[in-house]
Amino acid sequence: MLVVSGWLFARRALFLVRLVRAGKPVERFDDMPGRVRSEAVVVLGQKKLLQRVVPGLMHAFIFWGFLVLFPTILLALTWAADPDPGLGASSPLGWLERQGWFALLVDVFVVLVLVGVVTALVIRKVQRPERFRGSHLREADLILGLIAAVVTTLLLWHASLIAAGLNPWPAGWSPISNALSTLLPGGHAADVLERVFVWAHVLVVLSFLVYLPRSKHLHIAVAAINVFFSRTRARGRLEPLRFDAEDEADLRFGAGTVSDLTWKQALDAMSCTECGRCQDACPAWATGKALSPKLLVMGLRDQLFAEGPAVLDGGEATPLVPTAVTDDVVWDCVTCGACVQECPVSIEHVDHIVDLRRHLVMVDARFPSEAEPMLRDVERASNPWGKPQAERAAWAEGLDVRVLQPGSRSPELLYWVGCAGSFDERARDGVVATARLLRRAGFDVGILGPREACTGDPARRMGNEYLFQTLAEQNIRTLDEAGARTIVTSCPHCFNTLANEYPDFGGRYDVVHHTELLAELVQDGRLSPSSGDADITYHDSCYLARHNDVVAAPRELVSRIGRPLEMARSGRRTFCCGAGGAHMWMEERASPINEERVRQAAETGADTLAVACPFCTLMLDDGVRQSGRDLRVADVATLLDESVSRRDARAETTAS
Amino acid sequence: MSILVVVERQVHGVDELSLQALAFGRALESGADVHALAVGESGEALAHVLGAHGVSQVHVAEHEAFASYAPQAVARAAVELIGRLSPVVVLAAGTERGNEVLARVAALLDRPFAANCVESTGGEPLRVVRQRWGGSLLEEAELPLEPALVTVAPHVVAASPVNGHPAAIETFRPALSQEELALRVVEHVQTEVEGVSLADAKVVVSGGRGTGSPEGFAVIEELAGLLGGAVGCSRAVTMAGWRPHTDQVGQTGTKIAPDVYIACGISGATQHMAGCKGAKRILAINTDPEASIMASADYAVVGDLHEVVPAVSAALRKARGT
Repeated sequence: MLVVSGWLFARRALFLVRLVRAGKPVERFDDMPGRVRSEAVVVLGQKKLLQRVVPGLMHAFIFWGFLVLFPTILLALTWAADPDPGLGASSPLGWLERQGWFALLVDVFVVLVLVGVVTALVIRKVQRPERFRGSHLREADLILGLIAAVVTTLLLWHASLIAAGLNPWPAGWSPISNALSTLLPGGHAADVLERVFVWAHVLVVLSFLVYLPRSKHLHIAVAAINVFFSRTRARGRLEPLRFDAEDEADLRFGAGTVSDLTWKQALDAMSCTECGRCQDACPAWATGKALSPKLLVMGLRDQLFAEGPAVLDGGEATPLVPTAVTDDVVWDCVTCGACVQECPVSIEHVDHIVDLRRHLVMVDARFPSEAEPMLRDVERASNPWGKPQAERAAWAEGLDVRVLQPGSRSPELLYWVGCAGSFDERARDGVVATARLLRRAGFDVGILGPREACTGDPARRMGNEYLFQTLAEQNIRTLDEAGARTIVTSCPHCFNTLANEYPDFGGRYDVVHHTELLAELVQDGRLSPSSGDADITYHDSCYLARHNDVVAAPRELVSRIGRPLEMARSGRRTFCCGAGGAHMWMEERASPINEERVRQAAETGADTLAVACPFCTLMLDDGVRQSGRDLRVADVATLLDESVSRRDARAETTAS
Repeated sequence: MSILVVVERQVHGVDELSLQALAFGRALESGADVHALAVGESGEALAHVLGAHGVSQVHVAEHEAFASYAPQAVARAAVELIGRLSPVVVLAAGTERGNEVLARVAALLDRPFAANCVESTGGEPLRVVRQRWGGSLLEEAELPLEPALVTVAPHVVAASPVNGHPAAIETFRPALSQEELALRVVEHVQTEVEGVSLADAKVVVSGGRGTGSPEGFAVIEELAGLLGGAVGCSRAVTMAGWRPHTDQVGQTGTKIAPDVYIACGISGATQHMAGCKGAKRILAINTDPEASIMASADYAVVGDLHEVVPAVSAALRKARGT
């Protein structure tokens, strides 16, 4: 029986391993210390699960329980094979089964696992959270039943060992098994019961073993591996496509079929256990769009398993879109990464979405038509609105900022302005304020003016990797020629691209966001704001907070300027403004994300909505106008500039 | 050696873009025998026009199915003809219909197909340069011959008449199955666009959030009607569901280039201005003198559109004496 179940398990496991090994290459063997750390924190420490306290503890009890109880499975197998195994005290198992403390641990964790199972059932049957919509609910019930059966039979076996006087450990150490044993008959009946329970336990464990790799519960085998190979640094970075790959087999244009998935993406698909935390956090799902990150991964997994056997035998695979997911799903994503942040098994949903887009855009030329002008203008005019590049530095007139010409002296600080801040009237306020503050603090500030081109972020997030790489190479040449070392930027999208993505193409700079630099200047006393009486709620930009961990600096500034108020979703768990993933240049179906975020901001009772991203500025200002609320949207830099000027004005009044 | 060009017809003769495809094809294989496939009725005029563009033989497929546009049936007729002629290259114009028919031919023959080519240097395999991304990206591709399937992007070559004799005409009746007849045009419906289309209008009158409601567009429509122009709107208006997306002027809507653009109650967000930067003159009507559209406008009126626009309409009526 052990052989049969072992064979069934091994056959399926081998299939899964072959599927993963057939995946396309992706570099995930760097930063080993970081990988070990995330394994410790995310898997052993259950950090991401514990982002939600009750379901998190429920899972942790079951997970830690199974780690502790694992040796009992081996013990049960030896006892089942031989009623009197006579394990020597010198063998590890023999030593362990004699330990009172281990018997106590087993008792405690059996109870904790049962508490976990009951909690899970209450969540699923009574509370019924929305996040389970679309998940396989009956499969989950079966798995919970099996878990309960595993630990119940274990407890009964331990009790029957005590009743039959066969227990190798001092019975007093295991109070629950001991109490239970008094309810069992003694004598020969106890011997029989011990046989029944040990075999029941072994049977349940073995059927679990066979069922496991065929169910969504596969995650207990795969998740730990997936977490190990997840991104450790620069979460906002996308994997570059190598158009110059020498081996044609390595050349890929995103993901068209399951055979285009990387091995990490195959692992991702296998790791999903349909918990729906991603779906709960997704701004697209929250506003009635077709996209659910959970259903996306489930769709990919189902197609991977359905077509995997044929693909491994050299057969053809069918397109992922629209079979696994529809076109709408692919284009609804704002690449905010809320799903990735939540996912307890470190699935990287955004990479899947972008790879699907890459294939649709570069191979099929199939994408929302309204985004075409943006792509064309980024390519031809170097900015997404097709504005004349000659006007790029117009905002800086009279601000004493150097427009760097070829051959100019390298600046102390290169200010990368970004397209929105350069051209859009509303986004300019924050840029002008930043430049003024930096000059006030005594910096020699240089901008590239007409030589600054779009970083390529919107093209890349749309899936046009080719256009992105062209722009990246062009900008890196310009930056290197200008002698840029420290770059400050106002746009979190530019920030992410410059800091995390340009290094892949040879551009290495020290990149800071303007809120970080300004916070430092305030701390050093080089800028002195005066506190005001505005109630300010700060909206975290996804590309700043979630993708790049810049959370504290803007808050420090806000607390110096006015009275801070936090939204329910803030910091790394922020809610997108709706512009990310090139959505600034797409039409939105269903209800708008920006209006939802404005509603959340208004709930705090704030009168000012502070932002640190030009696109958040535009989206949220539109949302405020659209919903007719009385809320001022302004960049943190604008608020700081006003506050510093206010102090100046007061000082002047006092002086005169 | 021969090439085959699938031509589209106009009421009186052959579509200009098909003649361009013929010129493209002739340049590809000089000295090749040029065949054309046309569907529908045969006639002397057809023989003359195509002969004058270098076609030696016209094959006219006759079938009831060709009374209206039936792409699968045309593709089947082309496949039948390809079987008989074994041309090295099959071409069509890079129109919606030309691309559709050749895509279907490609599927029937299980051959690769290069759409919207702009250039070819010939050779075997056939080297072509073709448009992607609506023309923003050029792709170099290679196609196996016999036949290479190619459509020619509009206006990349000029039609070039030669002093040819009228082409010989051969009519044939393709064998079509029931399924191939299923796909056809059954009805033409005019879109409910009144007057001129937004993209082509000489005058566009647009309303923004300042209109306040769908009803607020009555004055906009009135003025547009008087000026013989089209009605547009901003993204805020379509987001609010007041007007359809087809009316939207902007980066993600229609890009317009009228002689006069009258923007009423529109703040002039970058997204909007990207759609009307081609306008020769901009007149802005807005209550907010600080609105960014005021800076880009040639003429600006600070005032409520609900007062200003009806006043302009009344003045127009008065001047015209109506």
